[in-house]
Amino acid sequence: MKRSCLVGLLLSLFMIATAQQRPSVKISGEVTKPLTLYPENLHTMKRTTVTLKDRDGNDHAYTGVPLQDILEQAGVTTGKALRGENLSKYLLVRSADGYEVLFSLAELDSDFTDRIVVLADESDGQPLPAGKGPFRLVVPGEKRPARSSFQVTELIIRFAKD
Amino acid sequence: MMKIIVVGMMTALLAAGVSVVRKPVPAALSWPAYFGNRVFVPADNPTTEEGVQLGRMLFYEKALSVNDKMSCATCHQQAKAFTDGKTFSAGADGTLQPRNTMALVNLLWVRLLFWDGRAAGLEEQAITPLTAPHEMGQSLENAAAKLRQRKHYPALFLRVFGNDSITGDRIVKALAQFERTLISANSRYDQYLQGKYQPTVSESKGISLFYTNPDPSRNIRGASCGHCHGGPKTYSDLFHNNGLDAVPADKGRQNITGQAYDNGRFRVATLRNIALTAPYMHDGRFKTLEEVIDHYSEHIAQSETLSPFLQRSSNIPEGTSLQLFPQEKKDLLAFLHMLTDSSFITDPRFSNPFPVN
Repeated sequence: MKRSCLVGLLLSLFMIATAQQRPSVKISGEVTKPLTLYPENLHTMKRTTVTLKDRDGNDHAYTGVPLQDILEQAGVTTGKALRGENLSKYLLVRSADGYEVLFSLAELDSDFTDRIVVLADESDGQPLPAGKGPFRLVVPGEKRPARSSFQVTELIIRFAKD
Repeated sequence: MMKIIVVGMMTALLAAGVSVVRKPVPAALSWPAYFGNRVFVPADNPTTEEGVQLGRMLFYEKALSVNDKMSCATCHQQAKAFTDGKTFSAGADGTLQPRNTMALVNLLWVRLLFWDGRAAGLEEQAITPLTAPHEMGQSLENAAAKLRQRKHYPALFLRVFGNDSITGDRIVKALAQFERTLISANSRYDQYLQGKYQPTVSESKGISLFYTNPDPSRNIRGASCGHCHGGPKTYSDLFHNNGLDAVPADKGRQNITGQAYDNGRFRVATLRNIALTAPYMHDGRFKTLEEVIDHYSEHIAQSETLSPFLQRSSNIPEGTSLQLFPQEKKDLLAFLHMLTDSSFITDPRFSNPFPVN
């Protein structure tokens, strides 16, 4: 009995290891509603298009969902709630290759800035190219596109406690 | 009644005896400021002098293998910057490993261990080589039972953990503590960063090539190594497909995440002591650093999951690999040799503590 349980466990581990997973973005940390978004979810939300000057030096149109809307859906403190200690919260964006970048929540909020940061799934009307998608954070108006992360997999909200 | 009191007193005395064991002394680890302080030490396994000392003994302890013939140091030899010079190392049963042995260096800054990043932390990592049937091949329970039979170990575990219980969990904790001390920061490159060494012309050009992204439209030549190996640690916790194969035989990180975009992605290894850790890549396919440089210069294989940072990184317009000049390759090689830290591979703190082993 014990042996068959072990075989079953090993088999299920093997299946987990080899099964193809769907790409997703997980929103976790200081949220009231932890969220996992799949590619189709972005199409049911309010979409917008922003322009980013890429490493090739040219402007490209990126379409997707404003990050603020995603944060609101996960119950992150935005707008009027972004005051007091909540101003010391940050967002860590993690990508599939291990790349990580950081924002303070106020940088992303329409009460503080007119800049719209987008979780994009299309560029110039096409799905994002291999290596960049299916989810790319697009941060317009920065001198370097270094925070416009490719293949985003996680959005983590934390308090800066130091 | 009397008997109960005596037993009670003895228990109290024993408890008191345990509580007066000297507390372990925090280990003083140091590194240059340019390495940064983003270090990873779990709260339940602080690095202590006693723990590191025990971990060093365990690292060289052959009783941790099923046949008493292998220790961690069999495959991680100090003289080779904690590698073994082999394409694939043999386990205690003689079976070859599926991937090349990784160098142990500057692990304090590494979060995800193994070529595919499947272990979150050194404690978790250590369990695999200890217990895998084709590696050291022994359960942690058996390893702990064997150590209990050695006369010196109970006292050492007592000093580290407050009582002399020897468990698998404590074995991996002590090993991880020792591994966190394997800091290499005294290469010629470090001495240059600290203003104590004047690089040769070739080394200087190599440093510049290493950090420069090529841009043929502006006549800027570079080797674009910095994106992945950037910063003085020459390491940044990234996983990339570096164009070894159009169709990878080993799916690498995809085996762990199940994501198609991770096909052929492997850890971007540190370049610290790279001249000492041949052969190279997860499958040890390159015997020399010259072959590694030739790979990036001329042989990048295109695929869906090739790192975007290698896709159009070239010194010629529309190029698909770097296309470096022969002298540029020599300059890069000169830089890579600057990363050799001879004090690291001779440091007695990392050496075999057993007189005959």
